[in-house]
Amino acid sequence: MSKEATVFVLDLGSTMGDCHNGRVESDLDYAMRYVYDKMADTMSSTRTTLNTGVIGFRTNVTNNPLDDGDEGYNNISVLQPLGTLTMPLFNDLKAKITPSQTEAGDAISAIVVAVHMIEKYTMLKSGKPGSYVRKIILVTDGQGRMDDELLDDIATKINQMGIHLTVMGVDFDDADFGFKEEDKSIIKQENEKLTRGFVEKCNNDSIVATAAEVIESLSTPKVKEVKSIPVYQGRLCLGDPEKYPETAMYIDVKRSFFTKAARPVSAKSVVIPLGAASTQSSHTLPGDVEMTDAPPTGDASDVRTGRSYKVKDPTSDLGEKFVDYEDLQKGYGYGRTAVPISASDENVTKLETFQSFSIIGFIPTDKYEQYFTMGESGITIAQQVNDKARVALSSLVHALFELESYAVARLVSKDGKDPQILLLAPYIENHLEALIDVPLPFAEDIRMYRFPPLDRVITASGATLETHRYLPSSDLDDAMSEYVDSMDLSTFDKDDEGNPTEYMKIEDTYSPIVHRILQAIRQRAIYGGPVEPPAEILTKWSEPPAELAMKSTGRLEKLISVADVRKVPPKVKGTRGRREVIAPLSGLDIESLLVKNKPNKISKENAIPDFRQMLAAADKDETISDAVKGMSEVIKDLLQVTGDANDQRCQENIKVVREEMIDYEFPEFYNNFIRDLKKRVFKKEFGNKREFWQTIRLAKLGLIDSTIISTSDVSPEEATEFLSIPTELPTRRRES
Amino acid sequence: MADKESWKKEEEEEEEDYDESTFITQKDAVLFAIDVSKTMLTDPPPSNDKKAEKDSPTLAAIKCAYQIMQQRIISSPKDMMGVLLFGTEQSKFQDEDASSRGGIQYPHCYLLSDLNIPDIEDVKTLKGIVENEEGAREILEPTREPVSMSNMLFCANQIFTTRAPNFGSRRLFIITDKDDPHAADKNMRNQAQVRAKDLYDLGVIIELFPISHPDHEFDRSKFYDDIIYRDAAEGSDLALPPTAFKSQGGGGISLLSTLISDINSKQVAKRSLFSHMPFEIGPSLKITVKGYNLLQKQAPARNCFIWAGGETLQIAQGETKKFSGGDVAREVQKVEIKKAYKFGGTNVMFNPEEQKELKNFGPPVLRIIGFKPRSMLKIQDSVKKSTFIYPSEEDYVGSTRVFAALWKKLVKSKIMGVAWFIARSNASPALVAILPSEERFDDSRVQVIPAGLWLYPLPFADDIREPGPVPKPLIASEELTTSTRKIVQQLQLPGGIYDPSKYPNPSLQWHYKIIQAMALEDEIPTVQEDKTMPKFRQIDKRAGEYINEWGKILDEEARASQKSRYGGIDGTDLKRGSDDDDGPPKKKIKVEKNEGTLADMSVDDLKNAVERGTLKKFTLADLRDWLKTKGLSSSGKKQDLIDRIEQWVEDH
Repeated sequence: MSKEATVFVLDLGSTMGDCHNGRVESDLDYAMRYVYDKMADTMSSTRTTLNTGVIGFRTNVTNNPLDDGDEGYNNISVLQPLGTLTMPLFNDLKAKITPSQTEAGDAISAIVVAVHMIEKYTMLKSGKPGSYVRKIILVTDGQGRMDDELLDDIATKINQMGIHLTVMGVDFDDADFGFKEEDKSIIKQENEKLTRGFVEKCNNDSIVATAAEVIESLSTPKVKEVKSIPVYQGRLCLGDPEKYPETAMYIDVKRSFFTKAARPVSAKSVVIPLGAASTQSSHTLPGDVEMTDAPPTGDASDVRTGRSYKVKDPTSDLGEKFVDYEDLQKGYGYGRTAVPISASDENVTKLETFQSFSIIGFIPTDKYEQYFTMGESGITIAQQVNDKARVALSSLVHALFELESYAVARLVSKDGKDPQILLLAPYIENHLEALIDVPLPFAEDIRMYRFPPLDRVITASGATLETHRYLPSSDLDDAMSEYVDSMDLSTFDKDDEGNPTEYMKIEDTYSPIVHRILQAIRQRAIYGGPVEPPAEILTKWSEPPAELAMKSTGRLEKLISVADVRKVPPKVKGTRGRREVIAPLSGLDIESLLVKNKPNKISKENAIPDFRQMLAAADKDETISDAVKGMSEVIKDLLQVTGDANDQRCQENIKVVREEMIDYEFPEFYNNFIRDLKKRVFKKEFGNKREFWQTIRLAKLGLIDSTIISTSDVSPEEATEFLSIPTELPTRRRES
Repeated sequence: MADKESWKKEEEEEEEDYDESTFITQKDAVLFAIDVSKTMLTDPPPSNDKKAEKDSPTLAAIKCAYQIMQQRIISSPKDMMGVLLFGTEQSKFQDEDASSRGGIQYPHCYLLSDLNIPDIEDVKTLKGIVENEEGAREILEPTREPVSMSNMLFCANQIFTTRAPNFGSRRLFIITDKDDPHAADKNMRNQAQVRAKDLYDLGVIIELFPISHPDHEFDRSKFYDDIIYRDAAEGSDLALPPTAFKSQGGGGISLLSTLISDINSKQVAKRSLFSHMPFEIGPSLKITVKGYNLLQKQAPARNCFIWAGGETLQIAQGETKKFSGGDVAREVQKVEIKKAYKFGGTNVMFNPEEQKELKNFGPPVLRIIGFKPRSMLKIQDSVKKSTFIYPSEEDYVGSTRVFAALWKKLVKSKIMGVAWFIARSNASPALVAILPSEERFDDSRVQVIPAGLWLYPLPFADDIREPGPVPKPLIASEELTTSTRKIVQQLQLPGGIYDPSKYPNPSLQWHYKIIQAMALEDEIPTVQEDKTMPKFRQIDKRAGEYINEWGKILDEEARASQKSRYGGIDGTDLKRGSDDDDGPPKKKIKVEKNEGTLADMSVDDLKNAVERGTLKKFTLADLRDWLKTKGLSSSGKKQDLIDRIEQWVEDH
């Protein structure tokens, strides 16, 4: 990418401090929105070849190389010489951007200073002009006196140097955009005319724009254009040209990505030492936004990761031990079995493949379901310098187009890469003939769970029903159909000529996360302050268009009344006696069978079913309390075993008690039980069971607090505190 | 174990790009309970048909378990599986062997392979039975005593209780041909019913795979309807038609393949990606849906580190800690870590709460914005796989019928919904197309595609790559296109569809084939099998003639085009034939990009470019390409190349 030299010429006259046309920010702050945005663009790119300079005019002082004490270049200051813009420089600069106490200083002369600055900066040692993109951006309110001498000469110089001149005028009239300032001063009127006349003389797409238009355009996110690079270059074959040279076809092609999911800008993890200042980042002033020079100078340090390895060790009371990295060998898991692979065999499991792109066969387009598409699309074109390939690909594209068919092909993009299956579709657009491809799933990629049909209900006995509360009535079908038709977006938008066109086209949608983060970074760097809510344009598509929704209100109301959807009331707690009766498919009265066949106590082997059944049959609170006690005994018994053999089983038992006590609204039964258990664990009644408590902690099986059951006398803070591990114990086993 | 899990979760939360598969925390354990009895061991009637069934139902079931075990090792390496035979003469439980001392806990239950993440021994055990190795016959010896179902169910209960106590999904697959095991004994029957209720309360779901014989139709209502409960997790009482299996010998589809395809469709526990998802069909019309990940790219498991210092080889579990850099490394807590973004030569930082806030676009929701014809979804507008959604009555009663009505409308009118979608709290918002799928079945009437809706992620403007300048196409003649059409017509895939089940991933299969062979200490296979390879012989046979003809027409056309473009060898006339604008059928003209490429330029254009000195605007690659087409040397510095082109232009 080419080097750039951009000079901002900023009007800092006293009039820029005023507010106009109903705005509450000064004209300067208003205009600087655009300038800062441009500067943020520059700083967010990592390119050091982007050079920025800043010149102020109508400044209190005069400070520029062309000033020789005479009139002409007075009240013009170089605020920032051309160079790479960095945050510290930006902060210095920002402090200088304030309205002056003067109205003296000529915009055109300031442009001349800028031209001079660019000329000097972009000149090579040889004296020839270097290859640069040169830009001057003038920002003014047009209230200062402008000198109309030598305009032609200046324009000629600008054109010779290939400079793009952009003038952004605060409240300049612009018929195309539709802005006109009422009660404009004579001097401003004249200045606007002068500026326009001057810019017309300049080539290189030089323009005058009114600030409102430019600033409005800032809200449109800038899409970073990424050029596609070929990911495959070689033959697209049909048949095997090696084996069947006479009856196989091949076309020299090149394939690149058509879509590639954009990711948010990446960030580095850093640590600020605890106790260090600037943790209140969100409310500091912009001047000292929490920042560190790069590379970090001690304030923030990169996060490093360290990895250790452990294996099961039944002889250790923790059940595991750490092992040295040197004692490890590479390998793979086959289920539970470890299969080591010696270094020499490292590639033995890798399928040997050779670069190829070969058509497997063809399918009609209507037999393909788009939800099978597995990801990003690619585009294949003929190699550009090969006429034969271009004609050949054209014939394939047209044949597929005419037959309404797709090709299915196998691609190995480079030797040794895994084969992929692609669907190839003809693409004839924008004078481009190509094959679009999308990846297709392999057999293993599909996990088709089965689901009941949506157009009929099958009863437990296997009978098929056409009417059922799960099936829409014909009224519901009709209401849905009308509503859906009324929400058609295919012609809801208007194009530039006012013709109906598709609403929510891809080119109008911006990745909310990508741009939100970009905006937040800029916001913080340039202005500081807390994280702001996402920009409006990023949530534009989160709701149906209001106008359309309004129009179809009637149909929606009809649909809602026919649909008769009701919110499930907050769960009626299954307290004693109010539980739904559970029965097998046949409807057999299993409850009474249980009463007859099972003792009302909890066995270690069958603890969970016994516990649940005892609760279901309970007719008084004591039974529930007894059930919890019974379970408690079982758990304590299970914990007597050394090691972690029963840990998961205990955890599950505890989980069931907790769930049921929440359901039955007896938080205290559970809370008392778990408090008692914790005490015992840390009194080492079951040996060293610290790891066990760790699993309880991670499974969040702590106290039932008042946010879960309002009658609980445990506060959320107490519940959090409860789960922690008592600190008087060492957190890790001492290395022996 | 638990420690490691939590560490992993934290790690993954931090990753910018979130892999959905990690979100499935629910682990699955499946225990096969296979009936061994005289009828189950009876071979099907002999037949001359080569494809005819040769296996007895028991053997078919064990073969099926064997295949599914190998498959699960690949597709769900963290899930458990076990095989229990019941009705056997021998008995064996977890720590007992066949000749156990003292009382046998579960008589006539033979735990062939205990419930666990399978290891190579489990694979070997099943392989032994399938290949009828020594001892297989004794194990498959049916008892003459009556078999107690309650005993078998309690045995299964204990296996689940001890081996997979905290698995979110636990299922018992019963494969039997006896529809009324305790016809005569009411007491035994009641015992079984009680034990089945225990399993239900434990959270174990029973799936029945009933086998009928030519002379006996399996009747579920006799016994099994009393012990099977509706899967509460399903959330609704909609049901699928039960599958019936027949052991019938010749003709028809083999028992094994129906069993495999049916068990296969059930062996993957239905794990939802999200539930309680509010689906706003219109402002103030909300229903609930669940989301399922029916498409998931499978890749070989990453390699691991193995510790050989003990009696057996062990896979070492890694543990990562984060340290601060600097002189004294110190372990850091998550809250201390900030994200730093490079900006203007410095870092712009956000603390953890702010990072979270940046990702916050509101609570999870699927909200319809409107509808469009399905034809507006172009094939190239694709970035990610789709997610399947299905209604659930959990939060809104009536969700199913409204969902069904919407589904019907989308199918009938060939339209799609477009919606704003936030899958989880703090997940990036996506725009999705909502596409309906119609139910589809395979040859054995097993559902392969369910009816429902798919959330198809739409690309954003940011996701579209700029294709860069390309020359205007050289359009093939009608004759050549017609010739290509003949080829395309000859080479339709079977059934005119792409059937993924016919294309296993060759890299994945090879990887596990080798690992399995190494684990079994078998000889390492050398011949690679790759079903994705095009069938070259068939292509030659079916379309060879047409391709040959196509090649001839192409040669002629290419020569003619060359001649008209470059005026033959002497290059006197460089007017191109394909510049006319009436060429391609236009669907939609986007922004016309008129950056011509070098290859497209006429001599006059080139002359202009030389005069204006704009040749240097082209990239080195462009210049090289152009030189190559003219048969000139393409080496050297850029200025050399430009000089060479200028020379050529002067000469012509």
